[in-house]
Amino acid sequence: MPAVKGTVLKGLGVGLVSAIGDVLVIKQATPLPDWTKSTKTQEQELAELRSAIDFVSSNLDELGEKAGGTSAEIFEALKMLLEDEELFEVASGNIQDGWSAAAAIGKAVDEFSELLGGDPTFEERVSDFQDLSKRVQAKIAGIEMSLSIPSTGRIVLVGEDFSPADTAQFTDAVVGVITYKGGPTSHTAIICRSKSIAAVVSCQDAIKLETGDRVLVDPVGDRVVVSEDESLATKSIDFVSINDEPLIPVRANIGSLEDALAASQTKANGVGLFRTELLYLSAKTEPTLEEQVASYTQILESAPMGPIVVRTIDAGSDKPVPFLNMPEEENPSLGVRGYRLIADHRGFIEGQLKAIESARIASRREVWVMAPMIATAEEAKEFSNLARSIGEYKVGIMVETPSIALIVEQLGGIVDFVSVGTNDLSQYLFAADRMNPSLGALLNHWQPALIKSLARIASGANSAGISSGVCGESASDPAFAIVLAGLGIESVSVSKSQVTAVHNALSSLSLTDAKEIANQVLKQTTAEKAKATALSEIAKR
Amino acid sequence: MSSIKGQVQVLDPIGLHARPASQIVKLVKESGLDITIGRAGQEFAKASSALRLMALKISTGETLTVDVPTQDQLIADSIIDQIQQFLKGE
Repeated sequence: MPAVKGTVLKGLGVGLVSAIGDVLVIKQATPLPDWTKSTKTQEQELAELRSAIDFVSSNLDELGEKAGGTSAEIFEALKMLLEDEELFEVASGNIQDGWSAAAAIGKAVDEFSELLGGDPTFEERVSDFQDLSKRVQAKIAGIEMSLSIPSTGRIVLVGEDFSPADTAQFTDAVVGVITYKGGPTSHTAIICRSKSIAAVVSCQDAIKLETGDRVLVDPVGDRVVVSEDESLATKSIDFVSINDEPLIPVRANIGSLEDALAASQTKANGVGLFRTELLYLSAKTEPTLEEQVASYTQILESAPMGPIVVRTIDAGSDKPVPFLNMPEEENPSLGVRGYRLIADHRGFIEGQLKAIESARIASRREVWVMAPMIATAEEAKEFSNLARSIGEYKVGIMVETPSIALIVEQLGGIVDFVSVGTNDLSQYLFAADRMNPSLGALLNHWQPALIKSLARIASGANSAGISSGVCGESASDPAFAIVLAGLGIESVSVSKSQVTAVHNALSSLSLTDAKEIANQVLKQTTAEKAKATALSEIAKR
Repeated sequence: MSSIKGQVQVLDPIGLHARPASQIVKLVKESGLDITIGRAGQEFAKASSALRLMALKISTGETLTVDVPTQDQLIADSIIDQIQQFLKGE
């Protein structure tokens, strides 16, 4: 039954553009590649198979934990089948016969399915078993799920949440995205913001929508309306620049040469966050110093005019660098990541700082360096000493852990600047996993506790005589950027698609106005009230 | 290496299905012994694999032989006894 016209579904809006389109509900489907002979060594295939089985197996654990009761027993039984030593034995035999890991497990499961088939009491098991086989094969192939999205029309995708593999398949016909789960820092939200696709996330009631329903995606109003009346869209604030320059510098976030070039086409004043992971995540072996210097120089030279803040490697066991040995961890986001890698990989981090220094000299750009995942003033001091012994850049740290957010004023004389990563700060402040699509509402940057923390960080930095910036997704929200300026944050760094919008917003009012708005927002007790207050206060000016 | 054999009867109304199979596997793995189970006169299956056990397609009422590679009668009896319990189908 199509959704009733005029129905309003509440969620969290992403971006400022609204869109009308036809719903396409996406259900998970996994077309797998054909089985092939191996092109790798048997050891590699066996290792791939083992790790894919372990992955699916731990998924089953999680599903079991969530489900509880009798369902937990079902997952337990499935896990037993998947981890069966004879199954692995047969699959290993197939690998020895020259098959790839995916083919080997597929064939082994087929073989057992045949042995188990025919008997009605086993039939149900067989289909579960085949499903496990598909999951393992998908993991090996790196497939999460595949979408088939038309390339014409005006499509509003509706689904639980979309992974990087999914969003990579968005066509130009996608004008809107609605997710039941996922928060404002989810991958879906980040992509939609950067592509200016109208999106509403954490919209649980969207489960009522059916393919073919025509809807208005109204992110400014934090809602979806079943309607084709564009005039229902909540008006986004039209910021009219009254000043040539924004209240505080608006920098761009980049991660590659392409980003640097694109950002230089915007009004961005330098780069507030240069993520260096991309240079390493795809490298099988550690790049030489010369190779690193060459990449960094090229990117620094291409970046928009102004200072460039380079963040040292922010890898962890959830996004491992292939050539650094990163053992699996129970809680990667609470594990050895970012600057913590120094314990085992001092040489690598020193090499990175050397390469950045050589690139700084070669490009003649103003370079600042900062380390991610700093939890104590002691660690900040350690990093600062190390960086200053290697190069003549400004030195700073990311503020992502609540522990460092509480003592920013103690960093005077240690670092030159701090940059707040609001995505991670929210995750750690609210104990809400960024990857858990059910916790989106806690990660809303309008949450009062986050805004309070930012106010504290700004005043701590101010009293310590160090400059403070925000480089998380929150700064890409123009209204929020005004609040940040009002709180005393001294620069923002935003995704390149948002530079103009944030620049305009920050040029549309005086610092006194921004401070008054921030003060009103600080008094609010819910995220919804904080946002509504900011919007209405901004509209008054 | 010599072993001790014992007999068990499948009383579970749906035969040797996933749950008893997984219970047996757990027990066998904990014992650390290469225990096998099968119909007398036919090929025995590794009792550490639920899939192999299920593939025997044992129906209710059948009698199975359990082969425990140990000389310790107490250990063997205890294992065979526990397997029998799993096959009662409560």
